[in-house]
Amino acid sequence: MANFYLSLFLFFALFLGHGVVELQASHHVYRNLQTSQSTSPNQPYRTGYHFQPPKNWINDPNGVMIYKGIYHLFYQYNPKGAVWGNIVWAHSTSKDLINWIPHDPAIYPSQQSDINGCWSGSATILPGEKPAIFYTGIDPHNRQVQNLAVPKNLSDPYLREWVKSPKNPLMAPDAMNQINTSSFRDPTTAWLGPDKRWRVIIGSKINRKGLAILYRSKDFVHWIKAKHPLHSVKGTGMWECPDFFPVSTYGLNGLDTSDMGPNTKHVLKVSLDDTKHEYYTVGTYSTAKDRYVPDEGSVESDSGLRFDYGKYYASKTFFDGAKNRRVLWGWVNESSSVNDDVKKGWAGIQAIPRKLWLDKSGKHLVQWPVVEIEKLRVNQVQVPSKLLKGGSVIEVTGVTAAQADVEISFDVSDFKKAEKLDPGWTNPQLLCSQKGASVKGALGPFGLLALASKDLKEYTAVFFRIFKGEDNKFVVLMCSDQSRSSLNSDNDKTTYGAFLNVDPVYEKLSLRSLVS
Amino acid sequence: MKAILFVFPFVLAVAYFPISQCQNLPLIEQTCKQTPYYGLCVTLLKSDPRSKTAGDVQAIALIMVDIIKAKAGGALQHIEKLKQKYPALRVPLSACKDRFNAIIIGDVPQAVEALTKGDPKFAVDAANDAALEADSCERGFSGKSPITQMNKLNHDISIITASIVKTML
Repeated sequence: MANFYLSLFLFFALFLGHGVVELQASHHVYRNLQTSQSTSPNQPYRTGYHFQPPKNWINDPNGVMIYKGIYHLFYQYNPKGAVWGNIVWAHSTSKDLINWIPHDPAIYPSQQSDINGCWSGSATILPGEKPAIFYTGIDPHNRQVQNLAVPKNLSDPYLREWVKSPKNPLMAPDAMNQINTSSFRDPTTAWLGPDKRWRVIIGSKINRKGLAILYRSKDFVHWIKAKHPLHSVKGTGMWECPDFFPVSTYGLNGLDTSDMGPNTKHVLKVSLDDTKHEYYTVGTYSTAKDRYVPDEGSVESDSGLRFDYGKYYASKTFFDGAKNRRVLWGWVNESSSVNDDVKKGWAGIQAIPRKLWLDKSGKHLVQWPVVEIEKLRVNQVQVPSKLLKGGSVIEVTGVTAAQADVEISFDVSDFKKAEKLDPGWTNPQLLCSQKGASVKGALGPFGLLALASKDLKEYTAVFFRIFKGEDNKFVVLMCSDQSRSSLNSDNDKTTYGAFLNVDPVYEKLSLRSLVS
Repeated sequence: MKAILFVFPFVLAVAYFPISQCQNLPLIEQTCKQTPYYGLCVTLLKSDPRSKTAGDVQAIALIMVDIIKAKAGGALQHIEKLKQKYPALRVPLSACKDRFNAIIIGDVPQAVEALTKGDPKFAVDAANDAALEADSCERGFSGKSPITQMNKLNHDISIITASIVKTML
């Protein structure tokens, strides 16, 4: 870990070096999976400690849970190639969320109700510590239906084998419920109401209205659709991967999904099919009405709050009872062309898991990479405080630049120089795209140049800019500028950005960067 | 007697249908209006017999994906011929071969599965990638491409397809 304190505005360059890997999580080679394509031996882009299988396509994290002290991660996987298709639930387990053991796929087509695909879903731990998985299956008529699977053998701590209910599908579109057969997917973790009935929501839409279809059950097998959705919003399009969970109004601890005590609020997150962004709101779950009501002032659209303002989709949380925290997983897709994906033989990674909790303001969530990541740290490099002159670049040496855990903070003193924030600049991503790392500013850009080549022809800039906003308050913009990340013109070099909820006058701007 | 009376209205109804309905033009025109290459879109679909019986946008989209596949296959054959004719262009032609191959083995199957099973965003991605592959192939010649028209056609067909699928999201 590199630890430094700086003042003023500048860049650090982490030069791309070759050498011994310093941060390496393990994911042992699959023995059993058949693949039709072999991967190229030259693999400069594989990550050091992000979750990814040895080869092929992955997307949504599924059924995330902990059972008998072991973490389970299932995920959408194509056993046949590096594009989306032939989807099954691949399965890995871990004791620490960082080092993983792969198992055979847990769920793959085997019944009429999933013969054409085993799509996303979630795990619920039923009373008596009995996991149950709900997932979307594609039936012989290519309709989206919901199926139940439970472990074959509860005494296998790895839960390698699963059996499906002979009653599947337990939920299906029909003439009565009028559910759209191609817009009915991604069941959530279920929660138990005060009436002892289970509830689950499934993403859907009616024309342009996104909705979370609500189903209830007494026995987890017979499900009845509620007359109204848990929540819906006009104009948002299809809701994929909904996630609905309680958060505590004090402290950093997570809550069991069925918790609804006095000190709880609820969060509803949806992934928007239209825009490939997610948004969430904080609100109240009314058990009497079985409805979710976002708090006053919530933005319900692509412009709403996100767990992650970068390339991030299909996220899913679970309650980790072992450490009393809610943990967030999410999928990051490739920026490369399909031609490159096929050549390298893989596509997609899972983002670093994060702990998630409600901010003390009660208005948004806060997250931090799970503490277990720090186990991977070796070879600490400390750089003493430096005063940074405008336009300068300082190289950080002694680190393997492609695998680093960086903590840095910036202390700004001369705020008078800050340029004014144009009131029309409301889209931070657009602002970062227009004012990239090479555009000079008054207070900024300052930050990191990560994954930089020796001649600085390629680099990924993660940086801040400070503007003067209204009422003499300062606005901090954070950007992840990929416009120069690669000389390969095929790559998606979208720039991302967000306004930060921090007052730079009173707080240092601190940045943690996991480079892998 | 009853049987004859029952049949009659059907016969009359068919006779009154304007001829354009047989070509499924309203669906084709409506769909193609959502794309940046209306003329090309209509021409391609009208010349494909399957479009006459396409019932919805999904069916139209699947036809377009099949056209991408056919054109990419044609591109591969043409590239093989050009490799013999222009040995000096071997390197960019080989790169193009890889790209059109990726369209056929990667983008097309992904798009077909996404459309038939109801997760169209993956079909949008696949179609957009197909356009990118054609563009990248063209760029590989640094301005001296022998297949500019072909690459543009493949690009445009892919963009049409992506636009059509986006309306299904």
